[in-house]
Amino acid sequence: MNCQEFWNTIPELGDCESSRHLLECPACAARMSRHRELEAGFRAVAAGFRRVEAPPRVEARLRSAFRRQTGSESRAPSRRWIPVVTWAAAFAAMFALAAFLVRDRQPEAARPPVQRTIELAMLQPQADYDGFIPLPNSAGVAADDAADGDDVNLVRVEVPRSAMIALGLDVSADREEELVEADILLGSNGIARAVRFLD
Amino acid sequence: MNERPMTSAPVETDDELLLRMQSGDEEAFLTLYRRRQAGLFRFALHMSGSMPVAEDVTQEVFLALLREDCGYAPDRGTLSGYLFGIARKLVLRHLDRGRLDVVLDTDSDDFAQPELAVLDDPLLDLTRREGIDALRRAVQALPRRYREVVVLCDLEEVDYADAAVALGCPIGTVRSRLHRARGLLLEKLHQERNPRQALGTLKPVRCV
Repeated sequence: MNCQEFWNTIPELGDCESSRHLLECPACAARMSRHRELEAGFRAVAAGFRRVEAPPRVEARLRSAFRRQTGSESRAPSRRWIPVVTWAAAFAAMFALAAFLVRDRQPEAARPPVQRTIELAMLQPQADYDGFIPLPNSAGVAADDAADGDDVNLVRVEVPRSAMIALGLDVSADREEELVEADILLGSNGIARAVRFLD
Repeated sequence: MNERPMTSAPVETDDELLLRMQSGDEEAFLTLYRRRQAGLFRFALHMSGSMPVAEDVTQEVFLALLREDCGYAPDRGTLSGYLFGIARKLVLRHLDRGRLDVVLDTDSDDFAQPELAVLDDPLLDLTRREGIDALRRAVQALPRRYREVVVLCDLEEVDYADAAVALGCPIGTVRSRLHRARGLLLEKLHQERNPRQALGTLKPVRCV
Protein backbone atom coordinates (compact mmCIF):
# COMPACT_ATOMS: atom_id res chain seq x y z
CA MET A 1 0.00 0.00 0.00
CA ASN A 2 1.42 3.35 -1.01
CA CYS A 3 0.67 6.70 0.61
CA GLN A 4 -2.09 7.60 -1.82
CA GLU A 5 -3.85 4.31 -1.33
CA PHE A 6 -3.53 4.66 2.42
CA TRP A 7 -5.21 8.05 2.53
CA ASN A 8 -7.85 6.94 0.08
CA THR A 9 -8.83 3.98 2.20
CA ILE A 10 -9.20 5.63 5.59
CA PRO A 11 -12.80 6.65 5.95
CA GLU A 12 -12.30 8.09 9.37
CA LEU A 13 -9.36 9.13 11.44
CA GLY A 14 -9.66 6.30 13.95
CA ASP A 15 -9.63 3.55 11.39
CA CYS A 16 -5.92 3.81 10.73
CA GLU A 17 -4.72 2.95 14.21
CA SER A 18 -3.59 -0.48 13.32
CA SER A 19 -2.40 0.37 9.90
CA ARG A 20 0.99 -0.99 9.14
CA HIS A 21 1.64 1.80 6.66
CA LEU A 22 2.04 4.36 9.39
CA LEU A 23 4.87 2.40 10.87
CA GLU A 24 6.60 2.24 7.54
CA CYS A 25 6.04 5.83 6.36
CA PRO A 26 7.21 8.71 8.59
CA ALA A 27 5.58 11.32 6.36
CA CYS A 28 2.18 9.73 6.63
CA ALA A 29 2.72 9.20 10.35
CA ALA A 30 3.40 12.91 10.80
CA ARG A 31 0.41 13.80 8.70
CA MET A 32 -1.73 11.41 10.69
CA SER A 33 -0.50 12.97 13.88
CA ARG A 34 -1.69 16.36 12.68
CA HIS A 35 -5.04 14.86 11.81
CA ARG A 36 -5.32 13.46 15.32
CA GLU A 37 -4.55 16.89 16.73
CA LEU A 38 -7.23 18.29 14.51
CA GLU A 39 -9.66 15.67 15.70
CA ALA A 40 -8.85 16.59 19.30
CA GLY A 41 -9.40 20.23 18.41
CA PHE A 42 -12.82 19.40 16.97
CA ARG A 43 -13.74 17.63 20.18
CA ALA A 44 -12.63 20.63 22.20
CA VAL A 45 -14.63 23.06 20.08
CA ALA A 46 -17.66 20.78 20.28
CA ALA A 47 -17.24 20.55 24.04
CA GLY A 48 -17.10 24.32 24.28
CA PHE A 49 -20.43 24.60 22.46
CA ARG A 50 -22.05 21.62 24.12
CA ARG A 51 -24.18 23.77 26.38
CA VAL A 52 -25.14 26.15 23.64
CA GLU A 53 -28.73 25.67 22.61
CA ALA A 54 -31.74 27.61 21.45
CA PRO A 55 -33.14 30.08 24.00
CA PRO A 56 -36.26 28.98 25.91
CA ARG A 57 -38.40 31.50 24.02
CA VAL A 58 -38.07 29.36 20.90
CA GLU A 59 -39.68 26.42 22.67
CA ALA A 60 -42.42 28.69 23.99
CA ARG A 61 -43.17 30.00 20.51
CA LEU A 62 -43.22 26.53 19.04
CA ARG A 63 -45.48 25.27 21.80
CA SER A 64 -47.93 28.07 20.99
CA ALA A 65 -47.71 27.27 17.32
CA PHE A 66 -48.36 23.61 18.00
CA ARG A 67 -51.39 24.42 20.15
CA ARG A 68 -52.75 26.75 17.51
CA GLN A 69 -52.37 24.05 14.90
CA THR A 70 -53.88 21.25 16.93
CA GLY A 71 -56.63 23.59 18.02
CA SER A 72 -57.46 24.40 14.44
CA GLU A 73 -57.39 20.71 13.61
CA SER A 74 -59.93 19.94 16.34
CA ARG A 75 -62.16 22.64 14.94
CA ALA A 76 -61.77 21.29 11.46
CA PRO A 77 -64.74 18.88 11.55
CA SER A 78 -67.11 21.68 12.59
CA ARG A 79 -65.74 23.83 9.80
CA ARG A 80 -66.92 21.27 7.31
CA TRP A 81 -70.50 22.19 8.28
CA ILE A 82 -70.02 25.86 7.63
CA PRO A 83 -70.88 25.72 3.89
CA VAL A 84 -73.88 23.50 4.61
CA VAL A 85 -75.21 25.83 7.25
CA THR A 86 -74.57 28.83 5.02
CA TRP A 87 -76.46 27.34 2.10
CA ALA A 88 -79.29 26.22 4.35
CA ALA A 89 -79.59 29.71 5.79
CA ALA A 90 -79.54 31.22 2.31
CA PHE A 91 -82.29 28.89 1.11
CA ALA A 92 -84.37 29.59 4.19
CA ALA A 93 -84.04 33.32 3.66
CA MET A 94 -84.98 33.00 0.00
CA PHE A 95 -87.99 30.85 0.86
CA ALA A 96 -89.18 33.31 3.49
CA LEU A 97 -88.81 36.22 1.11
CA ALA A 98 -90.68 34.39 -1.62
CA ALA A 99 -93.51 33.45 0.75
CA PHE A 100 -93.76 37.02 1.95
CA LEU A 101 -93.97 38.38 -1.58
CA VAL A 102 -96.52 35.81 -2.70
CA ARG A 103 -98.67 36.38 0.36
CA ASP A 104 -98.62 40.13 -0.18
CA ARG A 105 -99.35 39.96 -3.86
CA GLN A 106 -102.17 37.45 -3.84
CA PRO A 107 -104.74 39.75 -2.18
CA GLU A 108 -103.52 42.57 -4.37
CA ALA A 109 -104.05 40.50 -7.48
CA ALA A 110 -107.49 39.39 -6.29
CA ARG A 111 -108.47 42.87 -5.31
CA PRO A 112 -110.96 44.39 -7.80
CA PRO A 113 -109.71 47.43 -9.62
CA VAL A 114 -110.78 50.58 -7.90
CA GLN A 115 -113.30 52.35 -10.02
CA ARG A 116 -114.29 55.69 -8.78
CA THR A 117 -117.60 55.91 -10.58
CA ILE A 118 -118.65 52.38 -11.25
CA GLU A 119 -120.22 49.90 -8.88
CA LEU A 120 -120.78 46.45 -10.14
CA ALA A 121 -123.62 44.49 -8.69
CA MET A 122 -125.63 41.51 -9.52
CA LEU A 123 -129.17 42.54 -10.25
CA GLN A 124 -132.27 40.58 -9.75
CA PRO A 125 -133.69 41.03 -13.24
CA GLN A 126 -137.31 41.47 -12.32
CA ALA A 127 -136.75 43.67 -9.30
CA ASP A 128 -135.15 46.91 -10.42
CA TYR A 129 -136.11 47.46 -14.02
CA ASP A 130 -138.29 50.52 -13.26
CA GLY A 131 -137.13 53.85 -14.64
CA PHE A 132 -134.75 52.40 -17.23
CA ILE A 133 -134.71 53.90 -20.64
CA PRO A 134 -134.18 51.29 -23.32
CA LEU A 135 -131.22 51.98 -25.56
CA PRO A 136 -131.70 51.84 -29.35
CA ASN A 137 -130.23 48.33 -29.69
CA SER A 138 -132.01 46.90 -26.66
CA ALA A 139 -134.34 44.62 -28.69
CA GLY A 140 -131.50 42.71 -30.36
CA VAL A 141 -129.55 42.59 -27.17
CA ALA A 142 -132.55 41.23 -25.30
CA ALA A 143 -132.92 38.45 -27.86
CA ASP A 144 -129.25 37.48 -27.43
CA ASP A 145 -129.54 37.61 -23.65
CA ALA A 146 -132.62 35.40 -23.74
CA ALA A 147 -130.57 32.83 -25.62
CA ASP A 148 -127.82 33.11 -22.95
CA GLY A 149 -130.29 32.74 -20.08
CA ASP A 150 -131.16 36.39 -19.53
CA ASP A 151 -128.33 37.14 -17.14
CA VAL A 152 -127.83 40.92 -16.73
CA ASN A 153 -125.57 43.16 -14.69
CA LEU A 154 -126.20 46.58 -13.26
CA VAL A 155 -123.38 49.08 -13.34
CA ARG A 156 -123.54 52.48 -11.68
CA VAL A 157 -121.56 55.18 -13.40
CA GLU A 158 -121.20 58.92 -13.53
CA VAL A 159 -121.84 60.44 -16.90
CA PRO A 160 -122.16 64.02 -18.14
CA ARG A 161 -125.66 65.40 -18.29
CA SER A 162 -125.14 65.85 -22.05
CA ALA A 163 -125.72 62.05 -22.26
CA MET A 164 -129.30 62.70 -21.07
CA ILE A 165 -129.76 65.10 -23.99
CA ALA A 166 -128.71 62.36 -26.37
CA LEU A 167 -131.57 60.22 -24.98
CA GLY A 168 -134.11 63.02 -25.49
CA LEU A 169 -134.32 64.29 -21.90
CA ASP A 170 -134.54 67.97 -21.19
CA VAL A 171 -131.29 69.29 -19.72
CA SER A 172 -130.21 72.87 -19.31
CA ALA A 173 -127.39 73.74 -21.66
CA ASP A 174 -125.32 75.42 -18.94
CA ARG A 175 -125.37 72.23 -16.87
CA GLU A 176 -124.41 69.81 -19.60
CA GLU A 177 -120.86 69.54 -18.20
CA GLU A 178 -122.07 68.36 -14.80
CA LEU A 179 -121.85 64.74 -13.85
CA VAL A 180 -124.87 62.71 -13.00
CA GLU A 181 -125.13 59.21 -11.62
CA ALA A 182 -126.71 56.56 -13.80
CA ASP A 183 -127.33 52.84 -13.71
CA ILE A 184 -126.54 50.96 -16.86
CA LEU A 185 -128.07 47.60 -17.47
CA LEU A 186 -125.55 45.31 -19.18
CA GLY A 187 -126.32 42.11 -20.86
CA SER A 188 -124.26 38.98 -20.27
CA ASN A 189 -122.35 39.83 -23.43
CA GLY A 190 -121.29 43.18 -21.89
CA ILE A 191 -123.45 45.33 -24.20
CA ALA A 192 -125.55 48.06 -22.55
CA ARG A 193 -129.31 47.45 -22.80
CA ALA A 194 -130.82 50.33 -20.81
CA VAL A 195 -129.89 53.27 -18.68
CA ARG A 196 -131.48 54.97 -15.64
CA PHE A 197 -130.51 58.41 -14.44
CA LEU A 198 -130.65 58.82 -10.67
CA ASP A 199 -130.72 62.56 -10.46
CA MET B 1 -26.06 12.81 16.97
CA ASN B 2 -24.76 11.53 20.26
CA GLU B 3 -27.39 12.86 22.61
CA ARG B 4 -28.13 9.67 24.47
CA PRO B 5 -30.89 9.20 27.01
CA MET B 6 -29.85 9.08 30.65
CA THR B 7 -32.15 6.25 31.63
CA SER B 8 -32.20 2.66 30.52
CA ALA B 9 -35.92 2.75 29.83
CA PRO B 10 -36.83 2.21 26.19
CA VAL B 11 -36.79 5.49 24.39
CA GLU B 12 -39.10 6.33 21.57
CA THR B 13 -37.45 6.85 18.23
CA ASP B 14 -37.74 10.12 16.39
CA ASP B 15 -40.18 8.55 13.97
CA GLU B 16 -42.41 7.31 16.78
CA LEU B 17 -42.40 10.74 18.35
CA LEU B 18 -43.22 12.29 14.99
CA LEU B 19 -46.22 10.00 14.58
CA ARG B 20 -47.53 10.90 18.02
CA MET B 21 -46.85 14.55 17.35
CA GLN B 22 -48.81 14.42 14.12
CA SER B 23 -51.75 12.96 16.00
CA GLY B 24 -51.76 16.02 18.24
CA ASP B 25 -49.54 14.91 21.13
CA GLU B 26 -47.84 18.05 22.40
CA GLU B 27 -45.54 16.17 24.74
CA ALA B 28 -44.17 14.15 21.84
CA PHE B 29 -43.51 17.34 19.92
CA LEU B 30 -41.67 18.89 22.84
CA THR B 31 -39.67 15.73 23.43
CA LEU B 32 -38.61 15.71 19.81
CA TYR B 33 -37.77 19.40 19.94
CA ARG B 34 -35.69 19.05 23.10
CA ARG B 35 -33.85 16.10 21.63
CA ARG B 36 -32.90 17.82 18.38
CA GLN B 37 -32.89 21.57 18.92
CA ALA B 38 -29.39 21.99 20.35
CA GLY B 39 -27.60 20.31 17.46
CA LEU B 40 -29.63 22.26 14.93
CA PHE B 41 -29.04 25.51 16.76
CA ARG B 42 -25.29 24.94 16.97
CA PHE B 43 -25.14 23.94 13.32
CA ALA B 44 -26.88 27.17 12.32
CA LEU B 45 -24.65 29.14 14.67
CA HIS B 46 -21.43 27.66 13.30
CA MET B 47 -22.60 28.19 9.76
CA SER B 48 -23.94 31.72 10.12
CA GLY B 49 -21.93 33.09 13.03
CA SER B 50 -25.11 34.78 14.22
CA MET B 51 -27.20 33.93 17.27
CA PRO B 52 -30.40 35.55 15.91
CA VAL B 53 -30.05 33.65 12.67
CA ALA B 54 -29.46 30.40 14.55
CA GLU B 55 -32.56 31.09 16.65
CA ASP B 56 -34.69 31.83 13.59
CA VAL B 57 -33.44 28.79 11.78
CA THR B 58 -34.14 26.45 14.70
CA GLN B 59 -37.65 27.78 15.04
CA GLU B 60 -38.33 27.57 11.31
CA VAL B 61 -37.11 23.98 11.15
CA PHE B 62 -39.70 22.83 13.68
CA LEU B 63 -42.42 24.99 12.22
CA ALA B 64 -41.75 23.23 8.93
CA LEU B 65 -42.07 19.93 10.72
CA LEU B 66 -45.49 20.98 12.02
CA ARG B 67 -46.81 21.36 8.50
CA GLU B 68 -48.68 18.36 7.20
CA ASP B 69 -46.78 18.38 3.93
CA CYS B 70 -43.37 18.67 5.58
CA GLY B 71 -41.93 16.24 3.06
CA TYR B 72 -40.21 13.86 5.45
CA ALA B 73 -39.94 10.32 4.07
CA PRO B 74 -38.45 7.70 6.43
CA ASP B 75 -37.29 5.59 3.51
CA ARG B 76 -35.00 8.37 2.33
CA GLY B 77 -33.14 8.86 5.61
CA THR B 78 -33.50 9.62 9.27
CA LEU B 79 -35.51 12.44 10.71
CA SER B 80 -32.32 13.93 12.11
CA GLY B 81 -30.75 14.12 8.67
CA TYR B 82 -33.96 15.59 7.31
CA LEU B 83 -34.02 18.30 10.00
CA PHE B 84 -30.39 19.19 9.36
CA GLY B 85 -31.23 19.42 5.68
CA ILE B 86 -33.96 21.96 6.37
CA ALA B 87 -31.64 23.88 8.68
CA ARG B 88 -28.95 23.93 6.01
CA LYS B 89 -31.30 25.33 3.39
CA LEU B 90 -32.52 28.01 5.76
CA VAL B 91 -28.98 28.99 6.75
CA LEU B 92 -27.87 29.20 3.14
CA ARG B 93 -30.89 31.36 2.42
CA HIS B 94 -29.88 33.69 5.23
CA LEU B 95 -26.31 33.75 3.99
CA ASP B 96 -27.37 34.51 0.45
CA ARG B 97 -29.74 37.21 1.60
CA GLY B 98 -27.46 38.98 4.03
CA ARG B 99 -24.07 37.72 2.97
CA LEU B 100 -23.38 36.69 6.53
CA ASP B 101 -20.11 34.94 5.79
CA VAL B 102 -18.52 36.61 8.76
CA VAL B 103 -16.60 35.48 11.76
CA LEU B 104 -18.71 34.36 14.70
CA ASP B 105 -19.76 37.46 16.56
CA THR B 106 -18.62 36.59 20.06
CA ASP B 107 -18.72 40.21 21.23
CA SER B 108 -22.41 40.72 20.84
CA ASP B 109 -24.52 40.96 23.96
CA ASP B 110 -26.64 37.94 23.22
CA PHE B 111 -23.73 35.62 22.78
CA ALA B 112 -22.66 33.79 25.90
CA GLN B 113 -19.13 32.54 25.48
CA PRO B 114 -19.30 28.77 25.79
CA GLU B 115 -17.46 27.26 28.69
CA LEU B 116 -14.50 25.29 27.52
CA ALA B 117 -13.36 22.02 29.00
CA VAL B 118 -12.00 22.42 32.50
CA LEU B 119 -8.23 22.31 32.59
CA ASP B 120 -6.08 22.56 35.67
CA ASP B 121 -3.07 24.19 34.07
CA PRO B 122 -3.85 27.86 33.28
CA LEU B 123 -1.03 28.04 30.78
CA LEU B 124 -2.21 24.90 29.11
CA ASP B 125 -5.75 26.28 29.26
CA LEU B 126 -4.66 29.48 27.58
CA THR B 127 -2.76 27.60 24.95
CA ARG B 128 -5.66 25.31 24.40
CA ARG B 129 -8.16 28.13 24.30
CA GLU B 130 -6.10 29.96 21.73
CA GLY B 131 -5.83 26.80 19.70
CA ILE B 132 -9.54 26.24 19.90
CA ASP B 133 -10.27 29.80 18.88
CA ALA B 134 -7.89 29.45 15.98
CA LEU B 135 -9.59 26.26 14.89
CA ARG B 136 -13.02 27.85 15.17
CA ARG B 137 -11.93 30.78 13.07
CA ALA B 138 -10.41 28.45 10.54
CA VAL B 139 -13.65 26.46 10.30
CA GLN B 140 -15.64 29.61 9.71
CA ALA B 141 -13.23 30.76 7.07
CA LEU B 142 -13.77 27.58 5.07
CA PRO B 143 -15.84 27.76 1.90
CA ARG B 144 -19.46 26.84 2.63
CA ARG B 145 -19.38 23.40 1.05
CA TYR B 146 -16.48 22.39 3.29
CA ARG B 147 -17.64 24.29 6.34
CA GLU B 148 -21.03 22.57 6.43
CA VAL B 149 -19.56 19.10 6.24
CA VAL B 150 -17.01 19.84 8.99
CA VAL B 151 -19.69 21.32 11.24
CA LEU B 152 -21.99 18.37 10.67
CA CYS B 153 -19.53 15.49 10.86
CA ASP B 154 -16.71 16.78 13.04
CA LEU B 155 -18.41 19.21 15.40
CA GLU B 156 -21.92 17.78 15.67
CA GLU B 157 -20.81 14.20 15.04
CA VAL B 158 -23.59 13.50 12.59
CA ASP B 159 -22.90 10.22 10.83
CA TYR B 160 -22.07 10.23 7.17
CA ALA B 161 -25.42 8.81 6.10
CA ASP B 162 -27.35 11.58 7.85
CA ALA B 163 -24.90 14.17 6.58
CA ALA B 164 -25.47 12.91 3.05
CA VAL B 165 -29.22 13.33 3.53
CA ALA B 166 -28.76 16.81 4.95
CA LEU B 167 -26.41 17.92 2.21
CA GLY B 168 -28.30 16.15 -0.55
CA CYS B 169 -25.28 14.34 -1.90
CA PRO B 170 -23.84 10.80 -1.88
CA ILE B 171 -21.89 9.53 1.09
CA GLY B 172 -18.76 9.40 -1.06
CA THR B 173 -19.05 13.12 -1.64
CA VAL B 174 -19.33 13.67 2.10
CA ARG B 175 -16.13 11.72 2.64
CA SER B 176 -14.20 13.50 -0.06
CA ARG B 177 -15.35 16.95 1.05
CA LEU B 178 -14.50 16.13 4.62
CA HIS B 179 -11.06 14.96 3.62
CA ARG B 180 -10.48 18.10 1.62
CA ALA B 181 -11.85 20.32 4.40
CA ARG B 182 -9.54 18.78 6.97
CA GLY B 183 -6.61 19.32 4.68
CA LEU B 184 -7.55 22.97 4.25
CA LEU B 185 -7.89 23.39 8.00
CA LEU B 186 -4.50 21.86 8.69
CA GLU B 187 -2.94 24.11 6.09
CA LYS B 188 -4.64 27.17 7.55
CA LEU B 189 -3.62 26.35 11.13
CA HIS B 190 -0.09 25.62 10.03
CA GLN B 191 0.08 29.02 8.37
CA GLU B 192 -1.17 30.72 11.53
CA ARG B 193 1.42 28.97 13.66
CA ASN B 194 4.25 29.61 11.24
CA PRO B 195 3.52 32.89 9.49
CA ARG B 196 7.12 33.36 8.34
CA GLN B 197 7.19 29.91 6.86
CA ALA B 198 3.89 30.62 5.21
CA LEU B 199 5.23 33.85 3.77
CA GLY B 200 8.29 31.97 2.61
CA THR B 201 6.13 29.86 0.41
CA LEU B 202 5.24 32.95 -1.60
CA LYS B 203 7.62 33.37 -4.48
CA PRO B 204 7.53 36.89 -5.88
CA VAL B 205 7.95 36.97 -9.58
CA ARG B 206 8.54 40.64 -10.02
CA CYS B 207 8.68 43.74 -7.85
CA VAL B 208 6.41 46.60 -8.80
